[in-house]
Amino acid sequence: MRSLRHLRRSAVLPPLVLTLWGWVLVWSSLSSRLDLLLNAAFHPVVVIAGVVLMLLGLLQLRLLGRRRAGVAPLVWLLSAGVALLILVLPPEPSFSDLAASRPDSLPAAPSLSFFLPPEQRTLTEWVRLLRSQPDPELHAGDPVRISGFVLDRPGEPLQLARLTVRCCLADATPAGLPVDWPEEANPQPDQWFSIEGTMIVQERNGVPVSVVKPNRMTLIPRPDRPLEP
Amino acid sequence: MTRLATAWAIFQGLLIEALPFLLLGVTIAGLARWMVPQSAWVRRLPRNPLLAPIVGALLGFALPACECGNVPVARRLLASGAPLGTGFGFLFAAPVLNPIVLASTWAAFPDKTWLLWARPAGAFAIALALSALLGLIPESRLLQAALLEERRLSQPLSSLGLLERRTGMVGVGPARPERQSQTTALAPHELLSHSIREFLSLLTLLVLGSALAAVVQTWLPRSWLLALGSAPTLSVLALMLLALVVSVCSSVDAFLALGFAAQVTPGALLAFLLLGPVVDLKLAGLFTVLLTPRAIAITSLAASLMVLLIGQWVNLIQI
Repeated sequence: MRSLRHLRRSAVLPPLVLTLWGWVLVWSSLSSRLDLLLNAAFHPVVVIAGVVLMLLGLLQLRLLGRRRAGVAPLVWLLSAGVALLILVLPPEPSFSDLAASRPDSLPAAPSLSFFLPPEQRTLTEWVRLLRSQPDPELHAGDPVRISGFVLDRPGEPLQLARLTVRCCLADATPAGLPVDWPEEANPQPDQWFSIEGTMIVQERNGVPVSVVKPNRMTLIPRPDRPLEP
Repeated sequence: MTRLATAWAIFQGLLIEALPFLLLGVTIAGLARWMVPQSAWVRRLPRNPLLAPIVGALLGFALPACECGNVPVARRLLASGAPLGTGFGFLFAAPVLNPIVLASTWAAFPDKTWLLWARPAGAFAIALALSALLGLIPESRLLQAALLEERRLSQPLSSLGLLERRTGMVGVGPARPERQSQTTALAPHELLSHSIREFLSLLTLLVLGSALAAVVQTWLPRSWLLALGSAPTLSVLALMLLALVVSVCSSVDAFLALGFAAQVTPGALLAFLLLGPVVDLKLAGLFTVLLTPRAIAITSLAASLMVLLIGQWVNLIQI
């Protein structure tokens, strides 16, 4: 108890907590965790903020001799504890769980885009194309080469999906494609697959829809940059 | 356990994304304190009940920051003795009335021109209404205790009793502006120390707010809210609830809204874009450095009511 009071009275506490939070931001970038959390546009801002926080913390440590130390509020220690927890426990979100409760309302492409030849389209581009040209007959027989995670929505067949993120995971929106999973395949939610196959037309709930028929399916590790802009 | 891991990741995403903006806000507040002697510019601000919030709202164009960054700047304004209306006008309108947010709204909705004027106009109206409403409450029951004390020190003694200020000497007249600015100016190392303390205090509140927002949105299925998209009143209420829960920065919320714009009524879309920058779960903690809990409750209720009315009105005229 006494050591806690001593720590709170210590003048080094505020700059140390500040430097710790700066390191959290820098480390999140260095360890590629940001790729799991934020749209790439925000990464440089986070790194700059982290470096500035660390520099300010270190500068304050140097100036310590000139100031008196007040008692730091107890919550600052809790904040330091959260910073340490973030360093120790990396984010391991279940994309399937995250996407399952969110509507399939994929935002438009971030910039003007044209549709690439079928075999070069990503999963998200396929979903956007099917949204703008929903007639499944238009795409029947097209070659498909996509990768994504297995999305398990309650009451629906498993899909192959990607998450698009404009800001951070809080606004992640799923883009999913129906797949005609082979009999022997036993896909589990959150597994990542690379699929080569063709687009076919299948009737689901009495409506013809475009469905991916895999010719080759490979279980792959989660990509380094799993989120799409 | 899976869900807990997802909530932890959303928490980190929200917090890490907001942290640079909080730093920006504290830096602007610190620089404003250091570079511009407090009383000199604050005294020039208009005190008219209508003009004061308008000036505050327009300050957003000069100090572009989203809602997390605005809190320290608004606190500095109020602590320096700025009119209440200016502080609140800035706090509530500047998260929308700034170049970055207007540009991102335009980038997300280039085909919805009505939104480009309706969003700033709505934010402006809400800020004016909230400033007028909060102006009715005595400062001692409106502002958080530490802020009130700091503000009292910046206000001339002619307008305050010594008991209210809780410091000073009996028989000494109001301090002259020149003297006051000298005594309140901080040396660079003091300013650094003060800004670090302010940042750490706000950061703790941001951590709490982000945790709350992450937990609620992990366990509240978002598709339920959007399922109400086509009902005129329910859709507005549902999207208001979504704005409260999601807690993303005002600089990017338009892109998020783009995702479900087609599924909801126009009024609900506008309600989402208006309420989030004023009130959300992530801000709940940050507001405690400005307002008393009662004032926060009044602000949240009044802002929600105004947004509901604006949303309903837009649905009624069906832009």
